[in-house]
Amino acid sequence: MKYSIRSHQDIGEVRANLKAMLTSSKSPEETLEMLDKIGLEPFVTEQGGLLVKIWTIAAEDFVPREKTAIIRAKRATPGQSDDLDWLSKNLAVIRGQYAGEWIALYEGTVIDHAPALPELLDRISKFDRPLITFIPAEPVTWTFTYAR
Amino acid sequence: MPDKNFEQVVRFYELQSVPAGPSIWLPLVDVTLITQAGSRINLPLLFDTGASVTTLRAEFYSILGLQSWDQGQKVQTSTAGGVKDVYQYVATLEVFGKTITCPIQLNDQLPSNPLFVGLLGRDTVFNEFGFGFWENTHELYVTGNP
Repeated sequence: MKYSIRSHQDIGEVRANLKAMLTSSKSPEETLEMLDKIGLEPFVTEQGGLLVKIWTIAAEDFVPREKTAIIRAKRATPGQSDDLDWLSKNLAVIRGQYAGEWIALYEGTVIDHAPALPELLDRISKFDRPLITFIPAEPVTWTFTYAR
Repeated sequence: MPDKNFEQVVRFYELQSVPAGPSIWLPLVDVTLITQAGSRINLPLLFDTGASVTTLRAEFYSILGLQSWDQGQKVQTSTAGGVKDVYQYVATLEVFGKTITCPIQLNDQLPSNPLFVGLLGRDTVFNEFGFGFWENTHELYVTGNP
């Protein structure tokens, strides 16, 4: 279960839990993994420090309820990656590396690739909802109507 | 004129067919396909009001529990390249937050595109939703309460 920050009282609770986590005997790697899981977005500085991002409410009812879904859909949600957006932005590199192959994306990373789809699917079965697509070797020929 | 409210957005994604070339913006939907084995994979599909049935590349036959792509009901469909034989099956998808069992066609001549592996078509799927489309601003809205 990820933290959902609802008030300053919640932030105090998060900080207390974080302090307990950092004084435990867990390794830095284990602690970072735990912080990832609860959605605190940890970051290790060049000096070896640990930063965490804690979200707090800046304004209640900032967006009319009927517009909330539309605005949320247009913006990236913290802690969640849009694999399709990542693919679109990194397509030149991906095409250079995986032309003629099927690829599986998961949280902004190519987790595996294979020339045949069944081979790829066998290897990525432990992932929940990976994004699957084929990277053609030949230039994309546009035959549909949507265009700028 | 009825007032229409939409809860979701179909995003447009940029595709450059050649580096530094002109961009094409595609309305793409990340659809979850529930495989025959019960696992879930996400497939990027082009939102295509011109497609009567949701269509996938032929290579997806194994996910549907088939031995080959062409063992289903043969159907002829019109494409930009002429009339083609495709094969129709039934599959379960999760689209815009709803789970829908719908016809799926496999087509071995879909143009290859790195940003999508098929077309999200109308049959059964579109019945569940209402859509609003603004061409100039690349905005495509969806409601699950049409």
